Amino acid sequence: MGSISSDIIRGYNDTMILYLLWEAPSYGYEISKKIKSLTDEKYVIKETTLYSAFTRLEKNGFVEAFSENAAINGKRRTYYRITEQGRQYYREKCAEWTLTKEVVEKFIKEDGGV
Amino acid sequence: METIRNYLETMFARLPITLEVQKAKNELWQMMEDKYTELIKDGKTENEAVGIVISEFGNLDELAEELGISNFVLQENQKQAGNLRYVTLAEAKEYLHDKAHTACTVALGVLLCIISCCGYLLDSSWSLRGGLYAMCFMFLSIAAAVALFMYSGFVMGKWKFLKKRGCSVDFATAEYVHNRRESFRVTHAMMITIGVILCILSVLPVVIVTSLFSGRIGMGPVLMFVLIGIGVFLFVAAGNVNAGFTTLLSLNKSDTMGGSFVPSQKQVNYKNNTVSQMMSVYWPTVTCIYLCWSFLSFDWHITWIVWVIAAVVQQLIRAVW
Repeated sequence: MGSISSDIIRGYNDTMILYLLWEAPSYGYEISKKIKSLTDEKYVIKETTLYSAFTRLEKNGFVEAFSENAAINGKRRTYYRITEQGRQYYREKCAEWTLTKEVVEKFIKEDGGV
Repeated sequence: METIRNYLETMFARLPITLEVQKAKNELWQMMEDKYTELIKDGKTENEAVGIVISEFGNLDELAEELGISNFVLQENQKQAGNLRYVTLAEAKEYLHDKAHTACTVALGVLLCIISCCGYLLDSSWSLRGGLYAMCFMFLSIAAAVALFMYSGFVMGKWKFLKKRGCSVDFATAEYVHNRRESFRVTHAMMITIGVILCILSVLPVVIVTSLFSGRIGMGPVLMFVLIGIGVFLFVAAGNVNAGFTTLLSLNKSDTMGGSFVPSQKQVNYKNNTVSQMMSVYWPTVTCIYLCWSFLSFDWHITWIVWVIAAVVQQLIRAVW
């Protein structure tokens, strides 16, 4: 199996992060860990990619950052919380993906071109 | 843990300390620390954990771009400078290769120009035939030299954009070029030293031949020009190769995200504008004076003092203005 093209997935890093923030606020490492486990380790997001996604999302008002002491060891961490705009953006991205998938699917051979 | 901290510090060492950069560094450190702690808890050895954390860190360029966009000052600069042309590592390698290659051809051309007059010096008979050969040799040398210059010009033509457009290099490339320059340093020093020695020794053949064969010059001057030629060849070659490194390293201005890689003390700035313009022709003028005085008086044994005086005067001017 080939690896994921970082160019393709880049546009959907935001979607993944917003999905993971949907229920509750979270912080950097937890999100990267969840992305890894949810994708069965097929996609490991780089720290720099994740951070640049956070700053972009924050700049666009899709997430809010706040500082809080962690429940377990009391370490101070930056948490991110999804905003209403963020939820709206997530819905748009989902619709976009459905359409993209539909279009690209038309050009993918069922046997993978073998 | 210390290794990771050092790694992060090194990655950020070249970035200017702005609020955004500090924030990014802290955030990344948090994530790396969390990951490391968890990996250790899962039973990984320290080395394994460090390896995983570093391999999954990513690329700082990605981040610099992100910070660059949020950096208002940079945005303003980019608006003025147009889009920055990004020079890749492969391009940098190719450029350095071309530069080293043409450094030799240009230097060879200069060497040919210097020895082009040797035909006349060898021809002691002053006969028509001898003069003809000497002239042929001179024009052939000059033609070959011009061909070499033009060839170098064509080869380097495609790199003109480095000087014209705003270009930038990333950290890895700058690091690579920097290392190349460091490893060239000794060779560079050797080439310059040998060149200087050859130029100084170049008077010896004339002196020896004239004193041995009272009055007859013979091969003396020819050897002198050949020695000077080789000396200058070494100067030009070494200087050109070095200029290639400097060109690449000085692509980034100090306000670019990556920062400038050329130490600022290297650039001498005269406060007075007139003086700074005059100083740009300082060394050519000194060379001119040296050559005129030497050739007019033939007092080669004393004229070198011009260089010493010129160097002292330059330091004085720097100190005053």
